[in-house]
Amino acid sequence: MAYNKPIPEPDPLNKVFWEGAKAGKLMLPRCTSCNRVHWYPRIICPHCHAREIEWIEGSGVGYIHTFAVQHRAFGGWAEEVPFVTAYIDLQEGDRMFTVLRGVDPTKPESIQIGAKVKVEFEQANDDVAIPFWRVV
Amino acid sequence: MPGELSRAAAIVGAAEANEIGYPETPKTALQLHIEAIKNVSEQTGIPISKIDGIFSAGWSSQIAEHLGLHPKYIDTTSVGGCSFEMHVHHALAAIHAGIIDIALVTHGENGWSQRATGGRGTGRARGMDPWDPGSLFSNPYGVSGAPSNYSHAMTRHNHRWGSTPEDFAHIAVVTRQWAMLNPRAIMFSKETNPGGGPITVEDVNNARLVSWPLTLLHCCLVTDHGGAVLIAKPEIAKSLKTKPVWIAGAGENMSHSNMLEMEDFTATSAAASSAAAYKMAGMGPEDMEMAMLYDSFTVTAGITAEMLGLAPRGEGFRLWKDGHAAPGGKFPINTNGGGLSFNHSGMYGMQLLVEAYRQLSGTAEDGGYSGLPGKQTKARSCVVNGTGGSLSTTGTLVLVAD
Ligand SMILES: [Zn+2]
Repeated sequence: MAYNKPIPEPDPLNKVFWEGAKAGKLMLPRCTSCNRVHWYPRIICPHCHAREIEWIEGSGVGYIHTFAVQHRAFGGWAEEVPFVTAYIDLQEGDRMFTVLRGVDPTKPESIQIGAKVKVEFEQANDDVAIPFWRVV
Repeated sequence: MPGELSRAAAIVGAAEANEIGYPETPKTALQLHIEAIKNVSEQTGIPISKIDGIFSAGWSSQIAEHLGLHPKYIDTTSVGGCSFEMHVHHALAAIHAGIIDIALVTHGENGWSQRATGGRGTGRARGMDPWDPGSLFSNPYGVSGAPSNYSHAMTRHNHRWGSTPEDFAHIAVVTRQWAMLNPRAIMFSKETNPGGGPITVEDVNNARLVSWPLTLLHCCLVTDHGGAVLIAKPEIAKSLKTKPVWIAGAGENMSHSNMLEMEDFTATSAAASSAAAYKMAGMGPEDMEMAMLYDSFTVTAGITAEMLGLAPRGEGFRLWKDGHAAPGGKFPINTNGGGLSFNHSGMYGMQLLVEAYRQLSGTAEDGGYSGLPGKQTKARSCVVNGTGGSLSTTGTLVLVAD
C-alpha cells in the first residue's frame, strides 16, 4: 500500500540527511567548532554560531523525553488514531520528534519516559525515507 | 525602584466587537477588528483620527488603510497569542520615546466563523513552507495543531513534578466557575451552550480524549473575538472620561518557536518576561492581587503560575485546587472564565487585556456593547501573561489601578 501520510519534501540544505535516510543511516549535524550535535539542522551552529557544520552518522539510539497519545489527526494519520508521538533525546545530544513504535497507545501508563529507543526508516516514496523510533 | 518606563503610559479603554463567541451570521476578522475599534473610540471619547500608532498581530497596514489613518508608528508583531501583551510593551516604549501619544492595539479573529466561510475572511495566508526547517522534521508525524503539542508538556510535568492530569483538571473546574459569572462566556450556562454550566474534576477526566493526557475539557474553546485597547501618555490618560490603568511593568521573551527546541517542557520564557516586568514595576509577585493567565490549555495556566512566581515550581495548579483562584478566593485568576470557558479565538492575548482593564478600572460589571456584565473583584493590581506558539513566546504586563 502506498504511503498515505505527509511526506517531507527534501530540501537542498539537508541533502546529506535525506540521502543517509534512504540508506538507513541517521545523519546528524555537528559543529566542528564546539563539537556539539544539534537538531533540527541549521546553517549556523545554534550553540556557538560557527558556520562550519559537518554531518556525522548517529548511533540511532535515543531515550523518550516525553510523549502524548494522539486521538485526533488529519489525512492519513486519521486512520491511525490513537498513536503515540514522542520527543526523543538523542544519544549524541539534542532532540527529535517522532511517532513512536513498539508501544500500546491504549495503555499510555505502560510507556516509560527515559525508555531506550532505536531509529528505523520507512520508505515513503522513491526519494524519501522517514525516520521513526521504536522502543526496544 | 521602578524603571524609567514604568507608568509612562496607561491603558485608557478596552472594548470588544459587537458580537463575540459563536455568532449566528459568520463574521470576518476585519469586521471584528473594526467593531472593537469603533467601540473603544466611543468608550474613551478618543476619535479614531487621533490614533497615531497602530499595533496588531499582522494586520496593521490593512487596518490603518481601512481607517484612513497614516500612523507614525506601525507594529505588526505576530508571534502567537501573547503578541498583544508585547504590543502594549512596544506602545509603552514608543509613547515614552515621544514618537506617539495614542496607540491602538487591535485584534480580530473569526476562529468560529471560518468554519462556515471555508476559511475565508481570516486575513491569513494559508499553508506552510514545506522547506521551513522546523516543519520539515515535525509535520510528517501526525501532529494537528496546538493540543497535539501541548499534551507533551503535561506528560513531562506529571513525570518531573509528580503532578497528575486530575491536578490540572481543577484549573478547568475553577475557570468554569468564573465563566458562570460572565454572561458573555460561551460556557456561562446550559442555556448558552449545552456544555455550559458547572463541571467537576470527573467531567474533565471523562471528557473525550483529544491528545492524551489532554481531554477536551483541558483545552480552550475556538470562537470569534474582536478586541481593541487604547493606550495614551499620562497627560491624555488623566483627561478622559474613562479611568486609566497604568502600565507599571512590561517584559517579553521567548525560548523557541518549534517545540523541537523547547529545552524544559515544564518551563516557559514567562520566567524571564515576568522578571523584566516586575523589575520595571518595582513590584513582585507578592504585590499582585489577581492574575490573567493565558489558558489555551490547563497546563499552560498551571506552568505560567509557576513561571510568574505565584506558586513554587511544580505546584502552579494548587492555586486552583486549593480554591485561591476561584470566585471568592484570595487570589482571583482568569475572572472572565478564561480561554477554557469564556472565549478563545486562536490568539487569546487581547481577551486577557480587555478583562484586566475591566477589573482594574472597576468596570467589570459594565455590559459594554453587548449589555452583558461580568463579575467585579476588588483587585488593584494584576499580572497579565500571554503565551504564544507552542509554549514558545511570552509577554508579561504588571497593571495597576489609578
Ligand atoms: Zn558550535
